[in-house]
Amino acid sequence: MPDSKTKQYWRSPGEEVDSADGVSGNDLDAWREPTPAYVRRRSFLKAVGFGVAGLTVSGCQQTPEIKAIPLPIQPAGVTAGRPMHYATVCGACTAGCGMLATCRDGRPTKLEGLPEHPTSAGGLCAMGQASLLGLYDQLRFDAPQQDGNATTWDEADQAIVARLKNIDESGKAICLLTGSVASPTLNQVIDGFLGSYQDGRRVNFDSLSSSTIADAHQATHGVRAVPQFYFDKAEVIVSFGADFLGTWISPVQFTTQRTAGRQLDRDEPFMSFHAQFESCTSLTGANADLRMALAPGEFGLELTRLAVKVAELTNQSVDVETLAESSIPQQTIEELADRLVHAKGHSLVISGENDLKVQKLCNFINHSLGNYGSTLNISQPSGIRQGNDGELAALVADMKSGAVGALLVHATNPLFELPASLGFVEALDNVDVVVQFSTRPDETTEYADFVCPIPHFLEGWNDYEIRPGLYSLGQPVIQTLFDTRPLMESLGQWTGETAGSRDLIQRFWESTVYPQAESRESFPKFFHTALHDGFVDVGTDSGEGADSFALEAVEPVTVVTGGNEFSLVAYAKVGLQNGTHACNPWLQEMPDPVSKVTWDNYACLSVATAKLLGVEEGDVVRLSLDDSSPSLELPVYVLPGVHDQVVAVAFGYGGVATERFAGIGPSWIESRPTVNAEGRVGQNIAPLMNLENNVLRNWRPGLSVQPTGEKHELASTQTWHRITVPKNLAPPGAERRPIVQETSFAAFQKDPHSGHIEHHEFGPDKLYPPDHPTDGRQWAMAIDLTKCTGCSACVVACQAENNISVVGKDEVRRRRDMHWMRIDRYFSGEGDDVEVVHQPMMCQHCDNASCENVCPVLATIQTSEGLNAQVYNRCVGTRYCANNCAYKVRRFNWFYYDRPDGLENMALNPEVTVRSRGIMEKCSFCVQRIQNAKIEARVQGIPVAADAVQTACQQSCPADAIVFGDINHPESPVSRLMRDNPRAFRVLEELDVEPSVHYLTKVRNSVDVAASEGDEHHG
Amino acid sequence: MNQSAFTYLLIIGVVISLIAVVSGSRSYHLPDNQQDYQPMQPIAYSHHLHAGELSIDCQYCHTGVETSRHAGIPSSNVCMNCHSIVTSSWGAVQAESKRIDELKEQAREEGRELSEEETMLTVPESEELRKLYDALALDTERLRDPDRQITPIEWVKVHNLPDYVYFDHRAHLAADIDCQTCHGNVETMERMRQVENLSMGWCVNCHRESNRIGVKGKPVNASTDCTTCHY
Repeated sequence: MPDSKTKQYWRSPGEEVDSADGVSGNDLDAWREPTPAYVRRRSFLKAVGFGVAGLTVSGCQQTPEIKAIPLPIQPAGVTAGRPMHYATVCGACTAGCGMLATCRDGRPTKLEGLPEHPTSAGGLCAMGQASLLGLYDQLRFDAPQQDGNATTWDEADQAIVARLKNIDESGKAICLLTGSVASPTLNQVIDGFLGSYQDGRRVNFDSLSSSTIADAHQATHGVRAVPQFYFDKAEVIVSFGADFLGTWISPVQFTTQRTAGRQLDRDEPFMSFHAQFESCTSLTGANADLRMALAPGEFGLELTRLAVKVAELTNQSVDVETLAESSIPQQTIEELADRLVHAKGHSLVISGENDLKVQKLCNFINHSLGNYGSTLNISQPSGIRQGNDGELAALVADMKSGAVGALLVHATNPLFELPASLGFVEALDNVDVVVQFSTRPDETTEYADFVCPIPHFLEGWNDYEIRPGLYSLGQPVIQTLFDTRPLMESLGQWTGETAGSRDLIQRFWESTVYPQAESRESFPKFFHTALHDGFVDVGTDSGEGADSFALEAVEPVTVVTGGNEFSLVAYAKVGLQNGTHACNPWLQEMPDPVSKVTWDNYACLSVATAKLLGVEEGDVVRLSLDDSSPSLELPVYVLPGVHDQVVAVAFGYGGVATERFAGIGPSWIESRPTVNAEGRVGQNIAPLMNLENNVLRNWRPGLSVQPTGEKHELASTQTWHRITVPKNLAPPGAERRPIVQETSFAAFQKDPHSGHIEHHEFGPDKLYPPDHPTDGRQWAMAIDLTKCTGCSACVVACQAENNISVVGKDEVRRRRDMHWMRIDRYFSGEGDDVEVVHQPMMCQHCDNASCENVCPVLATIQTSEGLNAQVYNRCVGTRYCANNCAYKVRRFNWFYYDRPDGLENMALNPEVTVRSRGIMEKCSFCVQRIQNAKIEARVQGIPVAADAVQTACQQSCPADAIVFGDINHPESPVSRLMRDNPRAFRVLEELDVEPSVHYLTKVRNSVDVAASEGDEHHG
Repeated sequence: MNQSAFTYLLIIGVVISLIAVVSGSRSYHLPDNQQDYQPMQPIAYSHHLHAGELSIDCQYCHTGVETSRHAGIPSSNVCMNCHSIVTSSWGAVQAESKRIDELKEQAREEGRELSEEETMLTVPESEELRKLYDALALDTERLRDPDRQITPIEWVKVHNLPDYVYFDHRAHLAADIDCQTCHGNVETMERMRQVENLSMGWCVNCHRESNRIGVKGKPVNASTDCTTCHY
């Protein structure tokens, strides 16, 4: 029963067992820090003596000369110290979300979501936020390369043009291998370039492939495209392995849409129902109302069963032979089909499985339910995923046969992302010239004859058409830092086009977009407006359903593939995805939303499988497939909810890009490197996959798992900073405090207060009487646990805004991670049958803060506006406050966390102090933004507007789960949301610390409770 | 060497070091206290002349003061608003016009007419302004020299606050605080000098006083929360 009174929450397997009979001795040891033996008392005193003497001498210093250097010629509108905001498009992945770049003194320092953008609606994922650091990357190419040596653009151009001409004359093909390109201008330039050769070919490929979705629509609808999805219109969502909240196609857009379909704070609350069947616990599965583990080989069979049932209920006759036995109970399938048919036209069945039959079955179900034209639309092909695995296979075959003379590689890293069995490396030997377009060296660079460095997306012009008619415009927000040139300009240059990318884009917009917009303004004005807004939406949602559906193309799947052996599943991880940003320390240190592990990939095993194999977390296992694929040694991570026959490993690790992390983190006597024995972070799983029947597979059956007996410690933050108290340390009655409170939608509709534990009232007698006024402004935050998916965009947003240091794997392992915002992940349930709750946890800005009372130097104090201020210049680092904090949200600077790449300092926010060693820090409610809003209001002579302050975490939350404002202001978003909200609760309210952060109960549209409606037996 | 010689040597050494420390002590301050700091600037710019004698408003050059945290150091093109025409030093112009006045006086006494050439001010280009023109890559005719690069002028910052202090000019201007309250009588300074010690106690005292008595008769809300300046 999802009732927090009885529900037991735990954070790692094993923990829930301990709780029954107190905490085991091992667990208590984990609470202790070992005393280092190398510091003796005498040497400590000596060091202190010399230290004090040295400080005295160095303290009396002559005034250092600080230069103030103005711009020689100041452009109009530029004021030193005043941030400028530019609308642009995020290029971190191909989803093309709207982005608002904040530039300070000519350099972008913060990337945020563009609130007006039609698809992303102000959200920006962790990867998008972190791509700022990719801009300030010293390891990017700073000049074109020929055979590994730097050269000039002129020389490179001449050489490439000459060689391409030779190849063209010899009759060989010139191929451009690229990731999905959503830029209409670039597509036009590419077409022009390839058209100028006798045999110019283009191959699109996405390493996280959705190729079969397009293939399936080719078969059933006659259109080879990935459709648009509208989760906001879906009342019932059934997903077979599509991690649409985390990594699938356009997660920010889908999260926004899903939130729109789940609104509880309305007069008529409504909530979509979401069922997830998957082989490894994903972010989406963690948020599903119904979740079941399914082996990857079962997807087709289960979809067939669902399709048969749906067809039955929609009066279609389908001819299917006897189906094999399968793992989902018949009752569940029937209930699901029933729900889907009830929500006809407002339901959605999707699959992330790259399998043609599976995708065709999804199409069949969606077609039967009349969902085309409503929850998904094939008349609006998506520009985000254009990859075609079949063309890729054909390309490799042609390369092997020597038919390909030149290979141009753009926006992809085939040698890292492709299966080893495909033989891409060998095929490259038969290619005369390889030209790579890349921002930084990667696996493919080694084989490239020429490297034409391309700028970071924040440095160049770009346009996107992610759905027909929605044109977004990406503008540069900084001058190019290195000698780079966009692909558009390079291809233009080689075909005699000398225009820059801005001119090319402008030309395209004038000829194509402007006429469509039917604008009354002149084109320059129109373009300028588009540049200001970041996008133009001229698309008309025809809303047409597909009229023709080729039923004969759909093939039922009657058997399970894989059988009873282990399967190796490669999945994309939130933040890293296919590994394009593996060189980004923010993303590497961001704990995975589900596993909470940083700086590694690992073999996810279910609790039962781990027990069966006799392994536990950190035990290294060898994963080998029976064929010639390479084997891999990876540490085990026990993740409840993984299918028992599945070993899941994340993509994107083990690349050369991670070699830069060899020296990350503070160096001291006990420090250990972040990288593994090979000098990299994690292992690359992609070579073990295969390309079969023109499909890039993301799972392989026939896996053997052998423990090697070795250990590899994972830097997991899952049990860090826990705010639950072990039984033997807790006062009676407080052993397991319900930190998260949750209920079901059915129970919520009956009683909106359901799910709450008892409310705590306190008498007037207090240990510390209130000594600060609460009648003025009172900053407060509300976090809706129902909306929050745990995607961790806020974690990176906070890191970027507040100059939070990266500490490296070893320090994370020592529980010294510095994130101000952490997302606690709780499991409930037993064994592998678990439900997951995510709870963002940061400084609660208590009114009766326990940290304030113990600070001997008043470095943490209450402000008149209800903030719990941390004053860095007063702090002497006793760490009493962190010990006394009930929420474990304070972070201590054990070292100077210098940025190994000096250029990274450009990303620092000048509005926030960079903390030095020995200082305590924590969430400040983005006080710099509060102060700025107050001053802006004062300058204009108006009161601070109700929604004037948005914290960094709130701004980029795609789910809109975080609301911030002045709770004493009657019109502020937070006071409107919190006013008499029956779902409101505060964490650890019983301590009477009066936190300013409010949470709203997690409401799940659970099946079991809905089924047993009226059956009251809570507690 | 005998014992007494060594002692004498030591005493002499101690005396010399004491003298060195005492004589140099004026340039030493407590950490972060830079009161009376008056560094040499790359160009001998005179606030006394511009803000005092010529009564140019502070905001003519320090334009950011109402819109940004920083008042801002003017960029070179702001200087050129006047100095594309005014190319000589004030003193030189004064001296020259005085010379011509004297010449006129002399001529009147002698009873002769002065030619136009004789009465024309021929003032040499100021050496200090030359530095500005060089920074803007202007040649002797003060035209843009395409062979040279424009370089910014590296002024020495006088009023420095530690990195953990966030002072905002906008808020103080909105509260109608005069520039002189914190920067002293800049219009009398030949070379810019830090008048106040800019310590936290000094800031907080003013905030408290302003809350008590207001600024120019108007009540103000000058917060003394730590987060007003430290974040």
